[in-house]
Amino acid sequence: MMKRNGTPATNGARLTMTLDGEKVAFTRGETVYEVAERHRKEIPTLCYDPRLEPFGGCRLCVVELEGARNPVASCTTEAQPGMVVRTRSAALEVQRRILMEMVASENRDTDVDPMHGYASQEMADLLDRYDARSGRFEGAHSGTSRPDDDNPFIKRDYENCISCYRCVRVCAEQEGDYAISVMNRGFDTQITTEFGGLLKDSACTFCGQCIQTCPTGALGDLKALANREVPGETETTRTICPYCGVGCSVDVMTRGEKIVGVLPAMDGPANEGSLCVKGQFAFDFVHHPDRLSTPFVRDDDSGKLRPASWDEALDRAAGKLRKVVKEHGRRSVYGIASGRAPHEAAYMMQRFIRAGLGTNHIDNCSRA
Amino acid sequence: MPQATNDELLARWKNEPAPLLPLLHAFHQRDGYLSEDALRAIAKGLRIPIADLFGTVTFYHHFSRDEAGLDRPRVCTGPVCSMRGAEVLVASLRAAGHDPQPMPCPGRCDQPVPVIHGGTVLTGRTASTLVSGPSPLPPAPPGGIEECVFAGIRNPGRAGLAGYRNDGGYEALTRAVTGMTPGEVIDVIDASGLAGRGGAGFPTGRKWRAVADAPGGPKTIVSNADEGEPGCFKDRLLMDHDPHGMIEGMALAAYATGAVRGFIYLRYEYPETVDILEGAIAEAEAAGLLGDGILGTDFAFDLRVRRGAGAYICGEETSLLNSLEGKHPFPRNRPPFPVTHGYENLPTVVNNVETLASAPPILVHGAEWYRGLGRGDHAGTKVISLSGDIARPGNYEVPIGLPLAELLHDWAGGPPSGRTIQAVTMAGLSGGFLAGADLDVTLDEPSIRSKGSFLGAGGIMVFDDSRDMIRVTRESMEFFAEESCGKCFPCRIGTQRLVERLEGDGPDTVEAWVDEVTDLNQVMMKTSACGLGQAAPLLTESLIRYFPERVREHVAGPGGSHGPAMKG
Repeated sequence: MMKRNGTPATNGARLTMTLDGEKVAFTRGETVYEVAERHRKEIPTLCYDPRLEPFGGCRLCVVELEGARNPVASCTTEAQPGMVVRTRSAALEVQRRILMEMVASENRDTDVDPMHGYASQEMADLLDRYDARSGRFEGAHSGTSRPDDDNPFIKRDYENCISCYRCVRVCAEQEGDYAISVMNRGFDTQITTEFGGLLKDSACTFCGQCIQTCPTGALGDLKALANREVPGETETTRTICPYCGVGCSVDVMTRGEKIVGVLPAMDGPANEGSLCVKGQFAFDFVHHPDRLSTPFVRDDDSGKLRPASWDEALDRAAGKLRKVVKEHGRRSVYGIASGRAPHEAAYMMQRFIRAGLGTNHIDNCSRA
Repeated sequence: MPQATNDELLARWKNEPAPLLPLLHAFHQRDGYLSEDALRAIAKGLRIPIADLFGTVTFYHHFSRDEAGLDRPRVCTGPVCSMRGAEVLVASLRAAGHDPQPMPCPGRCDQPVPVIHGGTVLTGRTASTLVSGPSPLPPAPPGGIEECVFAGIRNPGRAGLAGYRNDGGYEALTRAVTGMTPGEVIDVIDASGLAGRGGAGFPTGRKWRAVADAPGGPKTIVSNADEGEPGCFKDRLLMDHDPHGMIEGMALAAYATGAVRGFIYLRYEYPETVDILEGAIAEAEAAGLLGDGILGTDFAFDLRVRRGAGAYICGEETSLLNSLEGKHPFPRNRPPFPVTHGYENLPTVVNNVETLASAPPILVHGAEWYRGLGRGDHAGTKVISLSGDIARPGNYEVPIGLPLAELLHDWAGGPPSGRTIQAVTMAGLSGGFLAGADLDVTLDEPSIRSKGSFLGAGGIMVFDDSRDMIRVTRESMEFFAEESCGKCFPCRIGTQRLVERLEGDGPDTVEAWVDEVTDLNQVMMKTSACGLGQAAPLLTESLIRYFPERVREHVAGPGGSHGPAMKG
């Protein structure tokens, strides 16, 4: 797989090409787009996701290559020694603007709430950059939305789909689920599951990868969108998903004291933007009204749980643990921490079991 | 005979090369459509994700997902058939109790209007007069002008092995494998000037040499018999009446390049041709001309027919290769090219039927002979499929460099009496129109390209002065919109927007309309990923260039749907 931000080879012969008049080095196998990105050329793209095989669909990344009759897609063109490439010219900018006007013309909306997902503003940003909200090329809209798909996670609003197929490709290449595909041809192209059914009846694992790579908000994060009315600015906090042992980086979105959504961290060393259904969507419990907000102890007489103060609860726990250890030995105690607890709590828990009670019988439900 | 079970069909095809298409056809034929149960069985048997298989099946026009879909008559509504009363035929079929469906051009422009019903192609103008019949033979060239691929095609029995051999068939292959090195074969083809006759015009000798020199194997020869361009019906004729000509050409290509396997990728719309080709392959195998130990040497070449399912883009060679491999038939990004990364990512020759059929006569008569068949400096011949408003439609093998007017008037009898020729298409539809003074071109790429068009696969449709060029352009653009694969933005959106503007939508001033259409044309030509999107706008570009008044009327007048009706 091609990776962005490669560094030029230092061993062997130095490979060079000319990029906007400047001689630049590259590594064999790098695409023209990757070389240009390293040099901050800001070539526009819509079908590109650095984690995926280059596709060459949106054609926005076309560049002028000396000797070629037409501009070439920089994402699918491997850099070759001696290539002379221009990433910007008056003609290219006009072509890109027209392409953006064409793309805008096929959608119901050109602007969507950023809570739709990580990449959801890509098209809108490019429309601004190319001043392409002209209303030209008006005509039929493409794509049929699926309001009938009542899954709680993924909004399928294909009237805003531009057929870049990033969702299909991320599902296959990154996630390995092959739950969705492309049906029909041309302007009738539609993202589909097997036999056009609902996601829950397909091979979908609701990892949410498709949402986060969608550049238009045709796919949306329903959990985050449910919080779009929560007041306040969205802040993000980088952390590690506690649900299992992989250690996926996430950016937790909050407004005030409320978690409003989770974004995958594209630069997370363990996950490179991948998450699973739990890391992506399972944060409701944090603010859930059923969540315990005070300790409980079991009443000695009735055997029923009743609310208690922290002091009472801790005293009770300490007393009983001490008693068990005294009567049955330290190996009679076994601690299990919850995957929904913060990492700091999990750490404290194992310190307590190991150092406090003197046993290695400590585990975590996330030890996947 | 009891129907084959899912397991029996899977067992039959599973371990064959390129099994997906024949397996889909087997289920389609058995059930009359592709049921969910069938697709699930195939997905499991071939280990294809079911969502992928479902999506891929919907790509093909002729795979039906509705019960009894295979039994529905499909009627050509292409530009030529539309002029010849396709709508009348559709109505007549409906009145006869059928449920006719429109289909893109199935390559019978010389016998409008064709209907595919089950496994048969019928032609006629009404439901009660539909008949099936063999492909028409080409009219004889005037003045005994020498031909290459058509030289023996009118001889009785030519389609059989005995008839073909009687005409000197398989002499080229015999000479090659018993007396020439592969390099010597390539040298002859190279020197002949033969170039791709499917439209791209890449020198055949260079292609063969690139595959011969490419590392890795097994190597493959693919005959691109997915003749999908509207107005092109030459390959059907060649395969129906001279199948061994192409097969011998494939064997020569295999010998020259070191390939050991081959496929004929045949378009769905030629069902009768499947049997003809499979019969010819069986005959050639039995005679030791295909298979193992060809002509007593250790040269081996395994040849199969694979049938498409209705998708113009599969005539694009990388889309064809994806289709053959059972993948979604989007075109691949190039480079790398098929000569190094073709079928199964291994070196592959993809040649058009006519190109392959040209190789044996070239090897027998020599490169100089072939070069000499062209006019002036031009080497060789080209088959032109001529249709539309012309006295004698059909296939003509012309010397490259022949004046277009000579073909239209002297060879083919000119337009209907009392009419003049208003415009012709080039390259089927892909070259757009030539009209007015530009009709004085000669039939060779330099001349036609100098007018902003190209000869391509050699389909020419003729439109006389009674035809509405807006309607012709709209029906032609509808074809490209229908066939756009959906991979790249400029083609997917552009073909749709051009159709809408030809239907009367879009800006209501001529200046804004022309401005939008010109921008769409330019972006499609410059940035589309493959030839479809690059060529489709030649229609609208040439429409605006040759018929500006008609465009003005269309946008401003009653022909369009804009504003108040204006006369004149």
